[in-house]
Amino acid sequence: MKRQLIAAAATLALATTAACGAASTNSGSDGGDTIKIALIPPTSGALAQFGTDAVNAWKTAARLANDNGGIDGKKVELIIKGTDADPATTLREAREAATKDGAQFIGAVMTSPEHAALNAQLEGLNVLSFNGLGKDDALVGEQCSKNAFHVVQTSSMDITGLASSISELAGDKWAIMAVDYATGHSAAKKFKAAAEAEGKEVVLEQFAPLNTTDFGSYITKIKDSGADAVFAVEYGADGVAFVQQADQFNLDKQLKTVLGFNMVSEPLFKTLGNSIAGYYNNVGYDVDGDNALNKEFVAAYTEDHGSAPYYVPADNFLSAETLFAGIEKAGSTDPAKVADALQDLSFDSIVGNVTLRGADNSLMRDSYLGEVVKAGNGLKFKILTNSSPDVTTPEPDSACKK
Amino acid sequence: MNAAQVLNGLALGSLLMVLSSGLAMIYGLRGVANFAHGALYMSGAYIAYSVSDRMSFGAAIVIVPLALAVIGVVLELCFFRPLQHRSHIELGLITFGLALIVERVVILVWGEKTLRVVPPEFLQGTSTVFGVEYPSYRLAIIVIALALAAGLILWLRLSTVGLHIRAASQDIETASIMGINVDKVSLIVVSLGSALAGLAGTLAAPYIALDPGMGNAFLITVLIVVVVGGIGSIAGAMIAGMGLGLIQTLSTVWSPSFAVLVPYLALTIVLLWRPTGLAGKRIS
Repeated sequence: MKRQLIAAAATLALATTAACGAASTNSGSDGGDTIKIALIPPTSGALAQFGTDAVNAWKTAARLANDNGGIDGKKVELIIKGTDADPATTLREAREAATKDGAQFIGAVMTSPEHAALNAQLEGLNVLSFNGLGKDDALVGEQCSKNAFHVVQTSSMDITGLASSISELAGDKWAIMAVDYATGHSAAKKFKAAAEAEGKEVVLEQFAPLNTTDFGSYITKIKDSGADAVFAVEYGADGVAFVQQADQFNLDKQLKTVLGFNMVSEPLFKTLGNSIAGYYNNVGYDVDGDNALNKEFVAAYTEDHGSAPYYVPADNFLSAETLFAGIEKAGSTDPAKVADALQDLSFDSIVGNVTLRGADNSLMRDSYLGEVVKAGNGLKFKILTNSSPDVTTPEPDSACKK
Repeated sequence: MNAAQVLNGLALGSLLMVLSSGLAMIYGLRGVANFAHGALYMSGAYIAYSVSDRMSFGAAIVIVPLALAVIGVVLELCFFRPLQHRSHIELGLITFGLALIVERVVILVWGEKTLRVVPPEFLQGTSTVFGVEYPSYRLAIIVIALALAAGLILWLRLSTVGLHIRAASQDIETASIMGINVDKVSLIVVSLGSALAGLAGTLAAPYIALDPGMGNAFLITVLIVVVVGGIGSIAGAMIAGMGLGLIQTLSTVWSPSFAVLVPYLALTIVLLWRPTGLAGKRIS
């Protein structure tokens, strides 16, 4: 009896191992009638709201696709995970999604460090990642992967778009107020070169450490510098503190232009209030974009989630559009075939006709300069200039070895 | 260096002064490094946001310290008093845990978005002082903090309760033998210290942006202020807070990257030069 029990247990263990092996072997390959997309947004911390909005965009994309009979006849299924935005956690969730849940594609990952860690593992997991949020240039350079597709504009594209619009802005004496971080320094350097090329003078350049709460001394220096325009690179709570303290110091009275780089965005409009009316900022997505796909997206997203989309949902919806275009071209959900199909693929999207550059898997799309204007009881961006990708996008980085 | 930069230093120093005096009082009497002090300050700012939104900022100045004083009573009765015979490290860890709980509660109630409080209308914009155009709200913070400092020190020096607090802070057991009701004194100190954290949060709300991490950002600086001032000394903490605010702001003008190091340098230099802090262990 005891031997029979041991034999039965051994048989069961072998069967379980074989089943697990089979599940593991199947993961990441053609999913048959289902397109399985794992979403790994931040669910805690300062980025949680963005994570929720990114997932909402994927939900709307999946709903629209499934309502229309699926993509290439296949149903879209979302596998929603969560992370604290720590690269190690995100990687763990991605592995689980690929090996246990059978996900073939990944979206809604937020930060550049998470993408950097993920890109290094994608080929091993046999999944494709669609980045609608991480803007670091290295993601299309030394950290690129043939399985990673960069849908959002990079920092370089954004800042080049802004710099190319400087001639449109009032002010001859510019002060630069930037975060003391790699992004702040590189943005300041590019902006200074563009300003000087336009015959404008940079009278002050200063960098505040990340998480600065008191900008009083910085604002006083801007006032003393005689600047009539400010280029500001401050994010999140730092950006809010800078804007509200500048308002208290009456800095606006001295300035003809305040140009922000990723400083003001739609989620902060209510918090910042009317004091930012007249501010300029880079805008990644034009909610009023005049094309049928965008109108359909805005209507569907608003219906699903109760508010109009801004850049985070839009860039994630565009990620979904990119993936769906690849699947339709490939006629398969096999990640390798979809990746091949996406090379240099052009397709219509919510931001117009776009092309996925095969050399570094980055999407060629427009960047915008917007002005914050009053609209009803709130604020909105009015798009002033549109910079095409041939202006904003640098040549593919030779460090990208796909 | 111009007068506006000196005023910037005074404004930051004033905020540090109000926040650190509450922490110094609690440490002086209970001997507890209250790591929840930053969370109390942060929750004070968030309550001020809601009260300002529904009533007025003036109401927030009154209601928030009172609400935080009640929380101080709970802290004293539920944690500090029952656990007074446990080691200070254990009690410190408990306050650290409480800080994490408060932070999570704030996120659940107010969410994770950065918020902003607008100062009362008569304090918006600038006023001219010493020939300098300077934000009226920051001037108000300086005036309130200096008035509070003077009032607190006079109360501690001239009132009977103040005398009992000073005696208990010197030696709580001897004070008890001499007939002072140290439980009552402790209740007053912890609730007043918490109320001061609430007041600091209210004053800070229109000054800086509100986010759930704002307490942690200030806590380290305030702990340094208390140590530099002389552990348990309110006057020392006030002087150190104002001094640190001034030095940090003025060094920001010269080198922002260096200014980040100023609190740590001040801590190192003062402890090497005067290990008991600027004032030593005295309550005022």
